[in-house]
Amino acid sequence: MEVACVLIPEPELADPVEAGELTERLLRRLERIGAAVESERLGEAFFVLDGLRGIHGGESAGVLAAARRAVGKGVRIGVAPTRFAAHAAAQREAIVPSPAAGGFLSALPVSTLVGRLELPPREAGGLIETMRRLGLERLGALAALPPDRVADRFGSAGLRALRLARGEDSPLRPRRPHEELVEQLELPEGAAGGQLEHALKLLVARLLAAPQRKDRTVLGLRLGAVLSAGGSWSVDQGLGRPTASARTLRAVLAPRLETLPGPVAALRLRALGLGPPVGDQLELSVRGEEHRRRRLSEAIREVRSAQGADSLLEVLQLDPASRFPERRAVLTPASDR
Amino acid sequence: MTPGMRRLYVPRPVEVEVGSDGRPSSVDGIAVEAVREEWLVEDRWWTPKPLGRRYFELVLVDGRNLNVFLSTVTKRWYRQRG
Repeated sequence: MEVACVLIPEPELADPVEAGELTERLLRRLERIGAAVESERLGEAFFVLDGLRGIHGGESAGVLAAARRAVGKGVRIGVAPTRFAAHAAAQREAIVPSPAAGGFLSALPVSTLVGRLELPPREAGGLIETMRRLGLERLGALAALPPDRVADRFGSAGLRALRLARGEDSPLRPRRPHEELVEQLELPEGAAGGQLEHALKLLVARLLAAPQRKDRTVLGLRLGAVLSAGGSWSVDQGLGRPTASARTLRAVLAPRLETLPGPVAALRLRALGLGPPVGDQLELSVRGEEHRRRRLSEAIREVRSAQGADSLLEVLQLDPASRFPERRAVLTPASDR
Repeated sequence: MTPGMRRLYVPRPVEVEVGSDGRPSSVDGIAVEAVREEWLVEDRWWTPKPLGRRYFELVLVDGRNLNVFLSTVTKRWYRQRG
């Protein structure tokens, strides 16, 4: 098996929100070439090359060339038989064939294990420091030790380190590819308070009106902001149950706006997962206002599917009290009721 | 502006003639019957892109009510709803 690792350089990951966006973009680009990607940390992506050779010329080099074209310049790519070895290879931009993997891993310093042991950084650092004090400078020295002695001295974390040093690793757990559903609203000047609530209403309306949603429900959301004073902010919001109700989404997100640290230059809303279409959910008998709301929603969907996503618009108040009339309201695609 | 979104009440350029007092005397060739109100709005004066507008609420001889403003930055006239 050949595992590829793609790394975004550390300096580009300084801002955690921007790092999340960069990572998501990286994963999507790799998914477009057919890769089933795993990414459990910001700035990194893993995928198995084996299944992709057939669609990229039959050789690993073809897959790597496609990956490089997809992700562009500025990222580091490495290949090795396991996730851990591929990560180390990517840091060195190396391709390590299976027969050479043992030698490659043996020569690596034990500090390579930091961040790969599923331990908090401090505990991982302590473990590595202990290994060094005991004369274990390289992974080769660790790999040569019998497992029972490693377990006695270092416990379960030591055994995990031993497995990695010996070139053993768990299989990749790729994520399920999903369509990107994200909306961003740039605000003309630092917005706060009521203006943000209007902006949130607009974002929710746009997200639900996006044609790629295809009537599916939303499972979770990430609300992010670019701050006027520089920097960014984001928060993930689970929804408890799948929903496509604008009112519900606004109700759960509005309190989050209060935790914003300052005025905002742009607000961004991303669906973290899409659930079954609205019509697939079981429901009790619906009458009265809810019945009318659904008929209206259905009518909106029909017009939209016949005439396009932007064919049906509604007025959304942004800053109704502004002294400049053009800042008071916008026309935006109508949301599902 | 975010794609798919359209602002309402966007100012539109307009031809305005002014009298000796600096107030509009005609708009697009139609005489002004009365100036109902006049006010000044300024914003972002602390930024490199300040906004300054001298608004007039007008009644034209054809009976229409109209809001126009003179941008104190660009010295151009605009009409605006809202």
